[in-house]
Amino acid sequence: MSPAESLPEAVLIVGGGLAGFTVAQELRKRGYDGTVTIVDPEGLPYDRPPLSKEYLDGSVPASNLPFVEESWFEKNSVDLVVDRVAGINPDDGIVTLESGALWTADVIVFAAGGRARPLPVPGGDLPGVIQLRTKADADGLRELLVPGRRLVVIGGGLIGAEVASTASKAGADVTLIDPVKLPGAMAMGQTIALYLHQLHEAHGVRVIDKPTTAIHRQGEEWMVTIDEGPLRGGSEVTADGVLVAIGIVPDVSLAVAAGLDINNGVMVDDSQRTSHPRVYAVGDVARGRAPDGTPLDRHEHWQSAMQSGQTAAAAIMGQELPVHPAPWMWSDRYGHHVEAVGSMAQGRLVVRARDGKPWVSFLLDDDNRVLGAAAIDGGIAIRAAQRMIDHGTVVDPAQIADPAVNLKKLAR
Amino acid sequence: MRKLSSSPLIRQAMMTPSPSFFSDGKYFALDDTCSHEDASLGDGWIEGEEVECPIHAAKFSLCTGSALCLPASKPVKTHRVEVRGDEIWLYPGEAVEGAELIGDGAVAS
Repeated sequence: MSPAESLPEAVLIVGGGLAGFTVAQELRKRGYDGTVTIVDPEGLPYDRPPLSKEYLDGSVPASNLPFVEESWFEKNSVDLVVDRVAGINPDDGIVTLESGALWTADVIVFAAGGRARPLPVPGGDLPGVIQLRTKADADGLRELLVPGRRLVVIGGGLIGAEVASTASKAGADVTLIDPVKLPGAMAMGQTIALYLHQLHEAHGVRVIDKPTTAIHRQGEEWMVTIDEGPLRGGSEVTADGVLVAIGIVPDVSLAVAAGLDINNGVMVDDSQRTSHPRVYAVGDVARGRAPDGTPLDRHEHWQSAMQSGQTAAAAIMGQELPVHPAPWMWSDRYGHHVEAVGSMAQGRLVVRARDGKPWVSFLLDDDNRVLGAAAIDGGIAIRAAQRMIDHGTVVDPAQIADPAVNLKKLAR
Repeated sequence: MRKLSSSPLIRQAMMTPSPSFFSDGKYFALDDTCSHEDASLGDGWIEGEEVECPIHAAKFSLCTGSALCLPASKPVKTHRVEVRGDEIWLYPGEAVEGAELIGDGAVAS
């Protein structure tokens, strides 16, 4: 470990989402005793996965969302500044806030996250079109989740599917629009994605697999125009509200102005350090590189955000970087808990079924090593698969497909 | 105080909400419910002296009950376990020495 005098005296974190908060928490866990400041206009850092599920349906109150209670910040001497960052000057280590305040820091951590990707059609950016990024967004959306109200969800990915599930359970009349025939196939594999996608219609959600071409507003009503193809032309869906959930764009504007290296995200090395030695980037906004220098896909999931924060904290302290397990994600919909680990993009699919329904899908390479896995209500299977991926375990496809075989034992 | 079998399958003989764990030759007893959301740590993945929640992967120390990573930040209760010869004794409600105390929103170190 570096001698204490070589550690930075002050670390300023731009953004208090999961990744930004984790940097602060991890610095203190590792014994860092310099100044730690988080700047975020939303104040007390909170967890976002419930915004499309338990917080949206009201079963988890707002008071349960923060990662830690307010007293944590005092106990751990972490300053929380409720403001928005207006500019970053990396050379001088100066961060300007919208209030006009200037902060100096030896290390700046950029954790600005992402913004909801706008739908690139006429009316896609009309005021009142709903997005779901913040607690306030969820509060607005919740007003539509009552019996009889008509909600159009554009985008059948994780957020769109979770909101469709939450809204239909609340009795809303839900239409889910996504031109992709099988959303989630890249993340969970065909078999699991298909089973999950069919749950929408089974729960009364109307699914339209056509592109949206326009959004109009007429008084209190919204009209969403769908392209039904050259023969049928356009059709319209009328709604009381429209949610656009087609992913995020990394919020790089401050990083661009600061002169950092950008390529659909702020480029970082293995230690989350950007092209400027004083600045680290973590979470959804950061983009790493493969060992050969090729930019990696940004893994816009909860655990990756946390892990990037842990890595940056270790790097800031000059400590050995943590080794992270294969990337993992989860989703909850229609009463099912879904998880995936590793890569489900390409390989040989082996399905473990239970009661005639897909339970766990494994993706294997040519040597029967596990590349990825996805499961419905199979958390232990995914944890086993994660170890198999990390250890490069060669498996017997017949064994992992057999629901009677204990995967935990195979992963040991 | 409850007397338990010394089988490694001890946790199956236990009554929730206080599962025991047998890991690396040692016995531990923790409250079953994750401090983050309603999930059973008894169904979690045990490795070394840690248990990982089966739903959102929060990790807890089997020794102290401390939350080791988000999304959990509050500890779960520990219960003292004592091995007497080939018998295992559980003291429900009696925290393990050095365990993180519950209350006042204490955050794992």
